Amino acid sequence: MPVRIFDALSPRQPRLQLRVRLPYGVHRLLHDPGALLGLILVSLVVLTALFAEQLAPYGPTEGSLLDAKRPEVWQEQGLEGHLLGTDQLGQDILSRVIYGARVSLAVGFFGVLLASAIGVTLGMSAGYLGGRVDEAISSIVNLLLSFPYLVLVIIIATVFGRNLLNVIIIFGITDAPVFARLVRGEVLRLRNVDYVVAAVGLGAPTWRILLRHLLPNLVGPLVTLMTFEMSAMIFYEAGLSFLGLSVPPEVPSWGNMLALGRKFLYIFPWMSIYPGLAISLTAFGVNLLGDWMRDVLDPRLRRAD
Amino acid sequence: MRSTILILLALLLSAPALLVQAQPSGELVIALPNDPTALYIANASDVTTIAVTRQLYDGLLWLDDKGSLHPGLAERWEISDDSTQYTFYLREGVTFHNGEPFTAEAIVAAWEYGLTPGNEYPQYYSSAESVEVLDDFTVRVTTPEPDALFVIDLVEGWFALPPRYLEEVGLEGFQRAPVGTGPFMLEEWVPGDRIVMRAYPDYWNPGEPKVERVVLRVIPDASTRVAAIQTGEVDIVNRLNVEQATLLESNADVRVISYPNDRVFYVAFKNLNSGMGTPIESRQVRQAFNYAINRPGILQALFGGHGQLATGFTAIGNLGYDPELKPYPYDPQRARELLAEAGYGDGFSIGLTCPADAYTNINEVCLTIQRDLAAVGVDVELQFLTTSKFWSEPNYGSTGPMFVDGWSTPAGEALPRIEGAHYPGLYYNSWVDDGITAYVDQLASTIDREERAALYRELSRYLFDDPPFVYLYTLNIFEATTSRVTGYRPLPTETWYLNQVAVDA
Amino acid sequence: MLVLVFFTVRLTGDPVGLMVARNATPEQREAFRVAHGFDRPLAEQFIGYLGNALGGDLGKSLRLHLPNAELIMQRLPATMELALAALLLSLVIAVPLGIISGVFPGSPLDLLARLIGLAGQTIPSFWLAMILILVFAVNLRLFPTFGRDSLEHLVLPAVALSVASMGQMVRLLRSAVLEVSRENYIRTARSKGLSEIVITLRHVTPNALIPLVSVVGVNFTYMLGGSVYIETIFAWPGLGTLLNDAINDSDFPLVQAITIFIAAFAIGLNLLTDIAYDLIDPRARQR
Repeated sequence: MPVRIFDALSPRQPRLQLRVRLPYGVHRLLHDPGALLGLILVSLVVLTALFAEQLAPYGPTEGSLLDAKRPEVWQEQGLEGHLLGTDQLGQDILSRVIYGARVSLAVGFFGVLLASAIGVTLGMSAGYLGGRVDEAISSIVNLLLSFPYLVLVIIIATVFGRNLLNVIIIFGITDAPVFARLVRGEVLRLRNVDYVVAAVGLGAPTWRILLRHLLPNLVGPLVTLMTFEMSAMIFYEAGLSFLGLSVPPEVPSWGNMLALGRKFLYIFPWMSIYPGLAISLTAFGVNLLGDWMRDVLDPRLRRAD
Repeated sequence: MRSTILILLALLLSAPALLVQAQPSGELVIALPNDPTALYIANASDVTTIAVTRQLYDGLLWLDDKGSLHPGLAERWEISDDSTQYTFYLREGVTFHNGEPFTAEAIVAAWEYGLTPGNEYPQYYSSAESVEVLDDFTVRVTTPEPDALFVIDLVEGWFALPPRYLEEVGLEGFQRAPVGTGPFMLEEWVPGDRIVMRAYPDYWNPGEPKVERVVLRVIPDASTRVAAIQTGEVDIVNRLNVEQATLLESNADVRVISYPNDRVFYVAFKNLNSGMGTPIESRQVRQAFNYAINRPGILQALFGGHGQLATGFTAIGNLGYDPELKPYPYDPQRARELLAEAGYGDGFSIGLTCPADAYTNINEVCLTIQRDLAAVGVDVELQFLTTSKFWSEPNYGSTGPMFVDGWSTPAGEALPRIEGAHYPGLYYNSWVDDGITAYVDQLASTIDREERAALYRELSRYLFDDPPFVYLYTLNIFEATTSRVTGYRPLPTETWYLNQVAVDA
Repeated sequence: MLVLVFFTVRLTGDPVGLMVARNATPEQREAFRVAHGFDRPLAEQFIGYLGNALGGDLGKSLRLHLPNAELIMQRLPATMELALAALLLSLVIAVPLGIISGVFPGSPLDLLARLIGLAGQTIPSFWLAMILILVFAVNLRLFPTFGRDSLEHLVLPAVALSVASMGQMVRLLRSAVLEVSRENYIRTARSKGLSEIVITLRHVTPNALIPLVSVVGVNFTYMLGGSVYIETIFAWPGLGTLLNDAINDSDFPLVQAITIFIAAFAIGLNLLTDIAYDLIDPRARQR
């Protein structure tokens, strides 16, 4: 019996909301050149990352010292076959930028995934269980939030050493508090919403309430936050590379390329211009997409902008 | 020397006009890559700190950029027949910057404070057994046994310290306001920003220093240093790479200086910890690697050819360097043959550790080595470690069976690095072999230079035929000065004395 | 936090390896270890450290041989100066620009605002810093390249450090203004015939500025982090370069001290922001 009453309440759940909103989102996408551009840019980067082997003329670490430090093909010293020139080891800049999309996206995507997984767990526990648990989690979260993010990342990166998995874990952990705060706030708000109160009253198990009633409502704000944090992580990866703390030097990440090219900025500008451009364009695309998602998925913000 | 000084003094006294001319003038601005860690020599462990402290203090002796020894605070010295006692006759009339007179007690103070537990460089001082004051200006230092490198300890450490002042302010007070007998006195130290020094008017060597003010500016970023000399904001920058040097050469107001540095770069094989039981214990494999790595290519492509291929740990300019010894040629075919002879015709896989960003282009060198060894069928598992991890364990315990590093030694003697890398029981040894140990023992107790040179040549052959390393290269160092600077002569150890440096107004 | 910092920095490597000369004997190494207390068990080191830290004693730097508190205080003014200048610069440009672009969407100034907002999201600050040196110091000779000698020296680093927060503030203000403009009380004001200027200044702006308060606090802490790059590039003698050096040198006591200091500072700042928020936001005041 209780189940049926419970089901009767379900139309308030977001499955339906999404169905209602989708056309709005598509409508906005088509009428907002910014959002469209964002979608195109992000799709390009994702496709580049997926099909790097097919797109790149060379392997990311392929090359000969004899071909090192050549400028773009249209310049006087340019080398046939190396469109955007070569780096210090004779590796093809274009190929490394293409493979770099993989690293940057992996850092951004999996970093955000990990951060949101940890953040959602913590935030839900804090918001739903309340009391001591909330106090404990909130105080840790607030402490980490008030701490300069980068300083924390630098210290942890120094400890764990350079590899892709470590970078992802570092970002996942250090960025989790941002998600925890958002989720906790949302859960506190939703806990008093009628259908949740009803479900609790009807004795639904806690996990069921959390998973079936609260989580779906969090999807909108979460996805929005994830997008913005993803572009932030692509930035931070570049920053860590700048300090020599990101993925190992042979890995073709945009940050690594930029950090290496930086040493020759005044002499061999092509070594750093293209990875820099890739970072900027990706961040640009992701942000445009984020703006659109925020408008579409977060009804409270829909009016603005 | 003394008579020249007397003549000079007489000249100066009789000709006031000359005296006016000799006044130091102008301001010299030098860019430092990092902040000195201390202005106290026993705690000076990096090149920058050593270079800066040298301007404030004087040692008993000093070495110039050509490697010749000169009298400093000691006007002359005698060595006993058994080569264990050094008697120094000290310069009279020298004063510290605070007015305290310099006597033999200052040398005792240098020794005693140098031995303070917790110092970073105790071994310059621990090599002496006793320091006796014979009179105010005579001091006798005894070493437990003949020690060929003791003179280097004296040059690098043993700077005169003012005993009374130290007593008064303590070591910590001294670090804040150091006082020496050197050509410059400390005026201001803003950590992380600048060190300002002023010419010491009562310096014992008349006519030195030549500049009135020296400002050392800390600029950690290499690109910024290059920018700063282009705009004329600094007069001297060091640690330039080839590309930066080339860029600056096109600037008419800047002069680029180049000189060979003593640091030998190498790929080490370990027959300790992680290297034990791996194929590199085979001599043929080690020889094969020496043939397989395209060292001429690396030197050309990454360093513009500005360096020399190394034939061993005794580098060009070191005592006993053997010009007859020719570097291993780049010969992958020969490498493959040797590997097959050793029973590794199908290749194998081995770990190589690289100290990330520790030296110019070192990451790229490691990547190239990996590429070259892959070409002869050896699969290199490359690992990059931060410098603090890289050097954290005894015997390079945190690295794989092979690692890349560089080692410089002071004063043109290869012994410190040979000993350091091979002598049993030392912290950073990586390859221990009874033959090498015997040579090192012999070298350390032989004082005669000719005999030592011969020993070095023999040892070089030994280390060449059964190589514990792939010897890579030594590099030329690039520095640049603005055209108004004269008399700047950096030493092969990347340090300098500013006594003779002048600037046009 | 103390626990976290203490144990993580200890994992970064052995300081003795970096500090003591390469040819030193094992005995000399041990002496260094004993002199600095690294020979004692970790737990004992930690308790001693905790006691000192609670008593306000942050220990002594391994590398610089001076008390950490003294070193931090030496560098603090430079970092504060830079971060405050960058914050001020962000506010001075972002506030008017954000409001104008919100009031007149589609105007040329709105376009500029959107560009700045975009720059903040798409240009890494260390990258911008290098370009600024190349263009404004080396080529145009308008500003000095490095150092902290005069007000002129502050300009390029402050610009580089401010771009991210400036962009964020512009975007935030723009959407806040747009949102507030659609609130009922603004519509009411408009229907009463109040002039647009009065509405903007008296009603829209104060309300749109409220969310800015919390952002200011957060951005200030972020700037302390970003200063690690900016200070290194411009040779700015602040906490960022000190931290970078301390990490590179495995100077544990100093890394710990700086981290704890920054944490304490950030918590204090957080508190201040909360108080300011309560004072400004009428909704919060009613609670």
